[in-house]
Amino acid sequence: MRYFRWTIFLLMLLLAFSFFHYNLPQRDIVRVTSTEVIRADFTGFNRFFYAQADSGNTELANRDLRLINAARTNGRVTVYRNEDTGFGWPPYFKLDSSNLQAEAADLISTRAEPIWVAITHYGWRNEFLSIYPNAIAVREVSGPDVTLIPWVNIAIFGMLFVAIFLIWRMLRRFRRRAIEPFLDRADDQLDLAKARYAGVTGGIRAWLDSWRKKPPRLK
Amino acid sequence: MLGMIRLGVILFVILTAFYWALSWYFRSLARGALEREWDEEIRQGDREAFITQGMADYDSSLKKKLVWGVYIVPIVVVIALVYLTNYA
Repeated sequence: MRYFRWTIFLLMLLLAFSFFHYNLPQRDIVRVTSTEVIRADFTGFNRFFYAQADSGNTELANRDLRLINAARTNGRVTVYRNEDTGFGWPPYFKLDSSNLQAEAADLISTRAEPIWVAITHYGWRNEFLSIYPNAIAVREVSGPDVTLIPWVNIAIFGMLFVAIFLIWRMLRRFRRRAIEPFLDRADDQLDLAKARYAGVTGGIRAWLDSWRKKPPRLK
Repeated sequence: MLGMIRLGVILFVILTAFYWALSWYFRSLARGALEREWDEEIRQGDREAFITQGMADYDSSLKKKLVWGVYIVPIVVVIALVYLTNYA
């Protein structure tokens, strides 16, 4: 039972970590090498990891997918998709994928004369599922070694902890000031009802007992 | 367009629940403060009347109206995010 509880706890922790790791923004320092459009035929396995058609368009089984190809500072490559999140999840409210594609194309550079950019993105790259992180914004940076402080994530976690604390306080107060008095009242009512019931059954029992054979009266 | 309506409906449901919870909580805090004030400082006259009067004052206060921020803040945040993500 203890192992079972630990397993569930670790799974929940893993799920929470994955949730935040997937949905919160991250920034990579990369060099954009090209942009392209491929047709994406989603399956039930990877559809979950894609957003939807561009904000003003209709949703079909397959569609074109914008990609941004890039090289990292360590020389390895990385590929981003560039999709509208629209008004769906995650709440980036990204509607400007075409503009972002144009910005990325404008920043294409070669290895000889690199232009280093910070790509804000969320999501994962997985070759087995054919999924890509979704690029949100691209911004030129001074060099490959710049330090970026994740203020947005700090703010989100800060607000999350404040919200959890507030909800915990609210629930505690609700229990003390609404549920417990209600239960106390219910308890009092129950005691009263029990006493009454005891009175009624006591009466009936007394009446029944009156029919029983009585011990002979002592003279 | 459909996404916007869906978001609106979901937000409305969640925020309404949060609005009720928060307005109950702040009302309860105001009542608790009045109860404490009477128990620790005043200790004379009608306790119930004092609390009723205090709650009436609370109901017409700016503090109570601030709970409407539950609806206003997320709408402002969404508009700000649309601007920052797409136009800034």
